[in-house]
Parts: sequence; C-alpha cells; structure tokens
Amino acid sequence: MVINGVEIDDTFAEAFNMRATRVLITAQNLRWAYNAANAMTGFATSVIGCGVEAGIERELTENETPDGRPGVSVLLFAMGSKVLMQQLETRMGQCILTCPTAAAFAGIESEDMISLGKHLRFFGDGNQISKQIPNAEGKLKRYWRIPVMDGEFLTEETTGMVRAIGGGNFLVLGTSQAQVLTACEAAIDAMRTFPNVIMPFPGGVVRSGSKVGSKYPKMFASTNDAFCPTLKGAVKSELDPRVESVMEIVVNGLAFEDIAASMKAGIEAACGLGKENGILRISAGNYGGKLGPHHFKLRPILSGEAV
Amino acid sequence: MSHIVLTAKPVSRQIDCRALSPQALQGKTVSEITAIKLTKHSTVGEVFEVSVDNSVETLKVTFKNTDSQHAYIGFGMTTGQVIVEGDAGDFLGAQLQNGVLICKGNAGARAGDRMRRGMLLIEGNVGDYCASDMMAGTLGVLGTTSAYLGYGMKRGTLLLAKTPAAQATWIDCGPHKLPFLNILYKSFKLLDSRFAEISSLRVHRWMGDMGGLGKAEILVIQ
Repeated sequence: MVINGVEIDDTFAEAFNMRATRVLITAQNLRWAYNAANAMTGFATSVIGCGVEAGIERELTENETPDGRPGVSVLLFAMGSKVLMQQLETRMGQCILTCPTAAAFAGIESEDMISLGKHLRFFGDGNQISKQIPNAEGKLKRYWRIPVMDGEFLTEETTGMVRAIGGGNFLVLGTSQAQVLTACEAAIDAMRTFPNVIMPFPGGVVRSGSKVGSKYPKMFASTNDAFCPTLKGAVKSELDPRVESVMEIVVNGLAFEDIAASMKAGIEAACGLGKENGILRISAGNYGGKLGPHHFKLRPILSGEAV
Repeated sequence: MSHIVLTAKPVSRQIDCRALSPQALQGKTVSEITAIKLTKHSTVGEVFEVSVDNSVETLKVTFKNTDSQHAYIGFGMTTGQVIVEGDAGDFLGAQLQNGVLICKGNAGARAGDRMRRGMLLIEGNVGDYCASDMMAGTLGVLGTTSAYLGYGMKRGTLLLAKTPAAQATWIDCGPHKLPFLNILYKSFKLLDSRFAEISSLRVHRWMGDMGGLGKAEILVIQ
C-alpha cells in the first residue's frame, strides 16, 4: 500500500488493556485551566517510569462544564486500577488543589467510581463542606468544598474508571529529522481533533521507541535499535539506506475504534507531506503479537476496514 | 411515577400534613389517599380534594390553597418533589431526608427543623427558628427571616436573599465569590421556582451556630 508516495508497511501496532479515567478541570479562565491540566498531565508519558500516561483530551466551553467556567478534559491511563487510583489522588493533590481557581469534576460515568476529591477533602482539616446537588438528569452528585487561601477549592467526590486500551502507535520514517518532525506535527494536529484519545508523549511524539529487554540485566526495555538510523549496518536494521530519522506517535484511547480512527487521521496527515517532502514509510511497533491483545493493522485501518 | 395534587379545603384548625410525604403517597389511588388518617378523627378526604396523574415520569406532590394552618408539609420526605403553591404552616420540611421542597408562599416557624439532606426552597418569608438544629442540606429563603435563625444549626447551607439580623452565635466570615454556587444555581434552573432567577456568585458568609457544632453557613446573596 502506498499513499502519496509513502509506503505503508504490512504490519500492526500491538496495544494493551489499561484502566482509564477522565477528569474535567475548570478555572477562572482557560489559561489557569491549562496550567492545572498541564501540571496534572506532566511527567505522564509512559507507565514504565511515570505510573500513568496522561494528556489533555480537549478544551471545554462554559456550556460543557459543571460549574459553567472554561476548562479542559484530561484522560489518565494506567496498567491497573490500584495505580490509577494512587496516581489520580497524588496528581489531584499536587496539581489541581494547588492551582489557583482550579476545580475538578468527574468526566466519565462508570460502575467503578474512584476517588477524585473523596480523600483530598481532609486537607480542609475539618473545615471541608460536602454538598449534594442534583445534576441535569436529577442524579445527586456529591461535591467537596475545601477552604484554601484563594477562596474555596471545589471538587467532585468521585469519577468513573473504565477499561481502555493503551499503546496504539505508528512510526514515521523519513530522510531527515526536520521532515519527520513536520510530518508528526501534522499527524498530531489531526489526531487531537478526535475525542477519547490522548497522545501522552512530549508534543504527542516519541523519538526513543523501545524494545523489550536489554543486554543489561536490570533493564527491561532498551532502545529500539532496529529503527535507529545511526545503527544501520551495525545491527539487524529495519531501515533502508535513505532513512535518517524515525519518530513514533503513541495513542491511548477508551475504545479500539477511537484509537483506530485517530491513527487513520494521523497517518493520512503525515502522508500528506508525501515522498517529495522526505516521508518514506509508515510502520508500527509490536512485539510479535504475543503480548498485547489489541492489534491495529495499518493497512486495514487506512482502507477503512478496521475503523 | 405520579403527580398527586392536594387542594386544601377551608379549615379553621391546624392540619398535620406529615402523613403526606411523596414516599407515603407513591403508587396510591385517589381513594386510598383520601382514606389516609391525618389524626385520630380526620382523614385526608375531609380537608383536601385529591387528584392523581400517573402519566408523569417523576414523583411530585403539589399542595394548593394551603395556609399557615397546614403544618409539617414535607416532613421526613425522602424522595421526589413537593410544591406548596400557597403558604405553609410550622415545621415545613422538618426532618427532610432528600428530594426538593418548594414553597411559593410564606412558611411558619421551624422551617427545615432537623433537616438532614435535600433542598428546601421558600420563596416567601419564614417564621422564627428557621433551620433550627438543621444537620445538612440546602435551605433557601427569598423573603425575610425572623428570630433565632439557624438556632443550633450544625451543618448545611442557609441561602438568603435578604440580610438577617445579626446574631451572637454566628461568625461573620465576610463577602466571597464561591464557585460551587454555579452548580447549585444550575440545579435551581431545572425547577419551576423564582430561585431559578438567582445568578450572583457573590455572597456574604456567616458560620455558626457557634453555640453548637458551628459547621453550618449562612450565605446572603449580594
């Protein structure tokens, strides 16, 4: 398969089951909503070292938020419910509670409700106030008002935890670092228009794709040498002589269809630059299909069969 | 669900309405409701005209033509909505457990007494001891309040449109802009009430009753 002169490998991205939650963060204005959300989703690129993978899903208008203020929604993904709960509480306490004017609300409903402000309320040292207020559907929601130095920190008691998928990905291979980065930027811009997905790495792009294992016993992941351009010839490389740079876009989502749709848009945007702008191939990272139950096959996705 | 309308007949004595909570009337026919005993010697049929509409999706009880003789309306209610289209007597919404009670007229003494949860919204004036011993929930008053406001109130929010008389056991915490009011007002907008018109997030806050637990608040809309 070739799109705009860019070869699409007959391969697949291998993805894993994860647990996810969504939090709506509001503030006096978007600047402070972003300050809170950026802090909460900071250092959340990979579960390998960060506990969770998190990112900003989209901006919310005043009409979309529970308290009628501007905000953003963030998604957090973890390998298990325990880690997700721990990370959510830590990040709520250190990033949202601390951010002037910020408030946090449940962004997803589920049978599994996890603590959002339920334990954080004790920061109020006995002065916290519970309010149960019905929402538009008449369902009672519990909020906590915690006295803080800028006034009151408002948070919903719980948010939903759902099953999700993490590790959808594709690789962009090109003739120069600058051209590959430009293609990835176009891909990320296209993918950010989709709901229910985040691209957790810096700017949505990762340049240090990894393989399982290492020559060093203590390392359980190491550089993906088969895709490192400077090792062409020295290792069993996947790259032809023209490739000088490879970058990866990792995408986590709430459902297979969400990830597949965003991958399709991202790959098409990257291919939009075409062979004449140095984009040569699109590939994907997998572990032979034995580790992750979700396989995102590039060609069926791009032909629309798998979306 | 059902909408039960209780239209009061003229009376010259106090009527105890504590048997007429939404949960007590839910699923009952007109004849069953009219047969409910309010006291040892009187039934609902003697003091109210009753009609029931079972085609609605929510549980709602509407009192019409009531006056200050109708006490204990909404007593201990745990669900649904109660609308009082006239005045109400003493103990309106006393021991309210959940649900929404809207009074479009005035209420007597002890409105919201020992209220635990839910919303009690009074568009008119209230008598003495409003929110006495209230444990939690939200009680709103658009009219005037009287003596001993929030007496022994432990927790919960008393939202007032008019500044009450100063009381020794309530501490002035000053004026504030509280973001949670956005959510509260949003829930008001779903109701057929003058409370839906409130929009100011700026309130003057008092904490009390310091004669007791002191975790309750009075918010006066600015």
